[in-house]
Amino acid sequence: MTTVAPETVPAAPERAERQRGQPRWWLYGAAGVAAALGIWAILAQMLAGGGGAIQRLASPLAVGEQLASYATDGMVADLRSSLAIFVAGWLGGGILAALVGLLLGRVTLLGRMFLPIIEAIRPVSSIAWVPLSIVWFGFGFSSKVFLVGLAVFLVVIVYAVDGCTRIPGELVRTSTMLGMSPMQRFRNLILPGTLSEVLIGFRVGLMAGWGTVIVAELVAADAGLGAHLMAVQRSYDIAAVMATMLCFAIAGFLMTVVFTWVERRLLPWRLEEQR
Amino acid sequence: MTSKEAEALGKTTRPRTGSRHPLQRIGLPLVGVVLLIATWEVTVWLNDLDSIVMPRPMEVLRALGDLVVSGEFWDDVVVSLTEFGSGYVIGVFAGVVVGVLMAEFSVFRATVHPVVEALRFIVPFAWIPLVILWFGTSLLGKTLLVAYATFFVMVVSAAKAMQQVDPTLTKVGRMLGMSRWRLAFAVQLRAAAPTIASSARAAAAIAWIAVVAAEYVGASAGLGVLIINASTSLQTDVVIAGMVVIGLVGAGVSAVIGWLSRSYLSYV
Repeated sequence: MTTVAPETVPAAPERAERQRGQPRWWLYGAAGVAAALGIWAILAQMLAGGGGAIQRLASPLAVGEQLASYATDGMVADLRSSLAIFVAGWLGGGILAALVGLLLGRVTLLGRMFLPIIEAIRPVSSIAWVPLSIVWFGFGFSSKVFLVGLAVFLVVIVYAVDGCTRIPGELVRTSTMLGMSPMQRFRNLILPGTLSEVLIGFRVGLMAGWGTVIVAELVAADAGLGAHLMAVQRSYDIAAVMATMLCFAIAGFLMTVVFTWVERRLLPWRLEEQR
Repeated sequence: MTSKEAEALGKTTRPRTGSRHPLQRIGLPLVGVVLLIATWEVTVWLNDLDSIVMPRPMEVLRALGDLVVSGEFWDDVVVSLTEFGSGYVIGVFAGVVVGVLMAEFSVFRATVHPVVEALRFIVPFAWIPLVILWFGTSLLGKTLLVAYATFFVMVVSAAKAMQQVDPTLTKVGRMLGMSRWRLAFAVQLRAAAPTIASSARAAAAIAWIAVVAAEYVGASAGLGVLIINASTSLQTDVVIAGMVVIGLVGAGVSAVIGWLSRSYLSYV
């Protein structure tokens, strides 16, 4: 279960047992997916002649064809430029947030002074920063990285502050008693304690950042998946729009899978805790 | 949007340890704000920045004042809040219903779970172009988008909360001869309510972000449109004033929902 998605609905223990024991639970899942695809196909058929608000709905088959043709033409380049923005913003914003979070979390005076400001910025959605980022950084790569970085920063900093303020007091006292210097204590206790929390922030920031890539590219559409999405939208090609949405979803899913794998390598004890 | 993300939005960076002195509690953040504004002012002054690039704090304040006295601004706020409110109510209601059903019926859960999981990876932002193609700039499109954003947060957290209810409560209810539905509504849903309420608050933050994003890409009125119009006419002071308003309304909405859930759940 944990291999598929980061936070699936946990089954009650006895249900999990049953699921493992009997293969028919897989069948229910397959039936659900098939039913969803069926409803989608029937709806597309019904709305083909122009039905009310939803004027056209592409059939699953048409979307699949579009996806295949996009995959052979242009998808790799678009994906590469979107991923470049994402990785730069995600790493930059996340690492900066970890550093600032450590500073604000450990130095109480600074924390009291500046944490309320960060708290006030958080409800401003990242989209609202688009005009400013364009004025400051222009329409290119850096303005999008700024937006993604900001979105990830505001997620990760919460975890960083949380992580380093929640280190148990007895551990700090024990380390003092054992004669650790402040520097040693920082390296061996506070930094690892914070990092494991920061990694959760990075995971949460994964989808937040990827979502922001879409927004940034929709607005400043010059390259990437979002630009493609905007281009096919302007030509009213619903099948291509839906195929591009699928691309975003698949990329997001793969990133989560990869990150889960990396996280398990880095912090093997985390999964034990979750279980 | 994931439930972890919802959790993050529900989390705050507020220090848990209570301040010893009110002067510290109010004074230190005030020092922070003053420092921020001073840095802002000095940056503008030192680099001799044009007000298009970075207006001075006073200009932003003036723009905010102008907005508040103008009638159009309040129309924009009302439009955004209507889009938010209608979608949010639908999303929370539908999400809780499906979540409860998923927790109650394992067959339903097994059937619906893969679909929900797959759809969750299509973030609300990715729907924006399609929603505009289908519904234009109408209220319906935004309502559906907000409902979608809210729904997935609520489904996952409602199902989770229902399944994590203390099994003793269920056993006691069963022993007292409660029917399955009575047990579900009178015991389990009540026990799960605080968790559901806190994720409803987090969902509000996500929904508010979705509203502004949807307006930004295609709308005829609303706070997102206010910002676009200001930025195309190069009034950066109005842009920042609009951002402040978006932040304030977002925080306000979240506070109202927190207050509502607290007063409604006064028994916990």
